[in-house]
Amino acid sequence: MRLVIERGELLRALGHVTSVVERRTTIPILSNVLLKASGKKLEFKATDLEREVMEEAAADVSASGAITVPAHVLHDIVRKLPDGSQVEIKRDGEKDRVTITSGQSIFALQALPPEDFPDLAAGDLGTTFELKANDLRRLLDKTRFAISTEETRYYLNGIYLHVAGEAKKKMLRAVATDGHRLAQVELDLPKGADGMPGVIVPRKTVHELHRLLEASSGNVSVSVNDSKVRFVAGSVTLVSKLIDGTFPDYARVIPQNNDKELVLEKASFTSAVDRVSTIASERGRAVKLNIAPEKLVLSVNNPEGGSATEEIAVDYDSEALEIGFNARYLLDIAGQMEGEEAHFFLADPGSPTMIRDAGDEAALYVLMPMRV
Amino acid sequence: MAIRQLPPQTVNRIAAGEVIERPASVVKELVENAIDAGARDVEVVTVNGGLSLIRVTDNGRGMSQDDLALCVERHATSKLADDDLSTISTLGFRGEALPSIGSVAHLSIVTAQQAGSGFEIVVDRGRKEGLKPAASNVGTKVEVRDLFSATPARLKFVKSERSENQAINEIMKRIAMAHPDIAFTVTTGQRTALALPKSGVSGDDLLARLGRIMGKDFLNDAIPVDAATEAATVRGFIGLPTLNRADASQQFLFVNGRPVKDKLLFGSVRAAYGDLLPRGRSPMLALFVDVAPTDVDVNVHPAKVEVRFRDAGRVRGLLISAMRAALGEAGHQASAFGGVKTIDTLASSITPSTANASYAPGTAANGNRPIYPARPMRGGLAEDLQAPFDAVTTPSANADATLDPIPADDMRCPLGAARAQLHETYIVAQTENSVVIVDQHAAHERLVYERMKKALGNGGVTRQGLLIPEIIELDDDDAQALADRSSELAELGLVVEAFGQGAIAVREVPALLGDCDIKGLVQDLADEIRSNGQSFALKDKLEAVCSRMACHGSVRAGRRLTPQEMNALLRDMEATPYSGQCNHGRPTYVELKLTDIERLFGRS
Ligand SMILES: Nc1ncnc2c1ncn2[C@@H]1O[C@H](COP(=O)(O)OP(=O)(O)OP(=O)(O)O)[C@@H](O)[C@H]1O
Ligand SMILES: [Mg+2]
Repeated sequence: MRLVIERGELLRALGHVTSVVERRTTIPILSNVLLKASGKKLEFKATDLEREVMEEAAADVSASGAITVPAHVLHDIVRKLPDGSQVEIKRDGEKDRVTITSGQSIFALQALPPEDFPDLAAGDLGTTFELKANDLRRLLDKTRFAISTEETRYYLNGIYLHVAGEAKKKMLRAVATDGHRLAQVELDLPKGADGMPGVIVPRKTVHELHRLLEASSGNVSVSVNDSKVRFVAGSVTLVSKLIDGTFPDYARVIPQNNDKELVLEKASFTSAVDRVSTIASERGRAVKLNIAPEKLVLSVNNPEGGSATEEIAVDYDSEALEIGFNARYLLDIAGQMEGEEAHFFLADPGSPTMIRDAGDEAALYVLMPMRV
Repeated sequence: MAIRQLPPQTVNRIAAGEVIERPASVVKELVENAIDAGARDVEVVTVNGGLSLIRVTDNGRGMSQDDLALCVERHATSKLADDDLSTISTLGFRGEALPSIGSVAHLSIVTAQQAGSGFEIVVDRGRKEGLKPAASNVGTKVEVRDLFSATPARLKFVKSERSENQAINEIMKRIAMAHPDIAFTVTTGQRTALALPKSGVSGDDLLARLGRIMGKDFLNDAIPVDAATEAATVRGFIGLPTLNRADASQQFLFVNGRPVKDKLLFGSVRAAYGDLLPRGRSPMLALFVDVAPTDVDVNVHPAKVEVRFRDAGRVRGLLISAMRAALGEAGHQASAFGGVKTIDTLASSITPSTANASYAPGTAANGNRPIYPARPMRGGLAEDLQAPFDAVTTPSANADATLDPIPADDMRCPLGAARAQLHETYIVAQTENSVVIVDQHAAHERLVYERMKKALGNGGVTRQGLLIPEIIELDDDDAQALADRSSELAELGLVVEAFGQGAIAVREVPALLGDCDIKGLVQDLADEIRSNGQSFALKDKLEAVCSRMACHGSVRAGRRLTPQEMNALLRDMEATPYSGQCNHGRPTYVELKLTDIERLFGRS
């Protein structure tokens, strides 16, 4: 195997694939990236056994072949090479060694045989559809904060992606919850997505995908069956296993009859929550919302540390209500909102509250209150 | 006072004091008799915790008229054919149970060896009443009424109906485990506590019966044990190390079909699991040891729960090696199906340097559940130790692993800025002039405790509502015990309610635990309640309760923390009094002054 590739191209491709490589793995080949040269291109592939990322870049291949080399080391080397330089990658005969040459720098890397590189063998995955990269990013962006990190409820450790809505207006919907709050975002169902199974995309895949989509502006093709999913955006492909579990019947927890509507200005609310919660010395302290017509008083009471209150003007004309929330959860949700106004739909201090974003009708959040 | 021979009635009551400790002992003796009589169906009914009525009905071989007359006499038994105590193969052998029971209660036995031609005998608090014909199916029905009415002193020691029922259930569970070929039904008061059909005695049949008694978790995570030497055989099922409990109450051990609580055997279990288990945790298992009757003395304890082996060392050796072998095999099995984590764990002990170490692709099914608790890498190169630093100090695109440049603010805090997490257990932080190492679990445990205490003093623990109530399946008795204490638990921030038989619904959790392992928490609290009996206030056991809660909070040992989480924990510790010590008085952190470190390197 022998090829020459432009440093920028190499860096771009490595940047896409190496982040999936775990830094602590005791199976040596999992630290490596698979390089495959043929025709006019160099293909890259990295994996952590749960997911794999593939990328390709134009290269001047003089002898085709494949090899695997330590991914992070290669990435670091390429990062340090001067901009615009040409890089030659060469496998020395049949030996498990790779030489990388650029300008006056020569690196020899210990390599491992390509035959041993794991393959998720995704093959044909059934349902395939396309959507805008930006749309998919939005789905992930607005829901991923609510993913549970508690491993015992593994079925909540990801985003539930599924088809929802009535026959006439079907939607592609993303939902995540940790049991304390829930985030739901949807978009018009892309053509061809109709038959897709409801799947739970694991947290790490979500983060990887989100990162890969940052660079792409075009369309993403999604293929999915009930155990694997593949995302193709431009030249990069991410294949991931799915969480094998049943996502709870979340629709039940979305309140339908919360008729007390509180409209507030997001920016002033967020900074008020942030300010009053300074008094709460520990995580998980409640911010009390005292809601009365036209005014909202936020307060935190820390018996040792003192107390804080702040009043803001709001739109509200139902009966007065006092309800507590985890300050961080409120800030998390506010952080996802696009519009300037947030609408809270409340019932009582013990029931879920629904929150909507005036700037994005397709997003919805549910938050369970705290109580003393 | 002159010495005199005691009258038989008194002798029997003294014996009864040893054999019949509480209603559950009566149940045990009667059911063992039924088993010895070859019954295939055994029914137990108790009323009022067994004090008003205990009825055991079997379809065993029954007794003849003469035997019936004799069986209530002291030291009358059909089971020591040649008077040889060293060849006992039945559960009974002393001929002591029935006369003992007859001396402290109203006892009636109806028995028949042929349908229709039965007899009944009645013994009323030691007074034998005549034998008379009675209609009966083949088998025996024993009824014990007004237990301990003849010995008021003993009656005083009987606990609440609930705890007596619980004791009866415990005994019956153990007996039922050892006899899958016999159908058992147990009704305590209004409740059907056990209903087990008969089945085969080994393999999946045995596991099915164990699963019905020990719960679905065990069924899913049990691995078979089967080993033999000339001297002994051991078989049964043991749980994977990840299936663990806070006490040994789910370790069921049997010797020649007899449930025992034997120190030697418990010790072997501990030795076999060794460091596969987190400290203070016990595995779930059911193991049946069989030895030749001549190699074990069962006559060392009045309730026969202890035994003495002729060659204890050999039995212990066999047990340990059998369990180790099973666990070892399960390890490979786990590596075939488990996710990356398992492979990591195993590979670190097997092939750290082989270039093409074999791997097996995980399936999504188990990929998310580590089989073993994360274990620290042992020994090895500096690189190993460096690796976790890299993970947090090298900026990467993974949000979880990013550490911003050290915030100067944090550096000035007493516990400094978190720089790394080692072995998923220790946080290393840097202050302006020292290095701080925090035991994250001990620290979290202490925080939970101090906050609970404070919150209780200030009118209540803040509770986070759950969007979807968590339904947790438990042993019937545990579910009941938790439901009974729901108001106490609510004060501690956990809102539960009964959810049908054998399950509870959790609606709210203590907010200070974060996104926690609710199921583990509930199970542990049930264990705590069980091991402390009925009459204690959870608040008096606050330390124990809190350490169990902390175990399942979001900062438990073995969990990888993000830099933000680590810093938050450090700031919490600073804000919490007494957080420098864990609940057991050990330090939660140590601080190494730079000057001390310099001295270590001979630089001062
Ligand atoms: N359910 C039964 N069916 C048939 N025979 C029985 C039954 N219960 C008791 N017997 C007979 O009565 C005898 C006395 O029973 P008892 O329980 O008092 O003594 P044991 O079982 O021989 O010894 P131990 O005191 O160790 O239990 C037994 O040996 C047995 O022959
Ligand atoms: Mg007996």
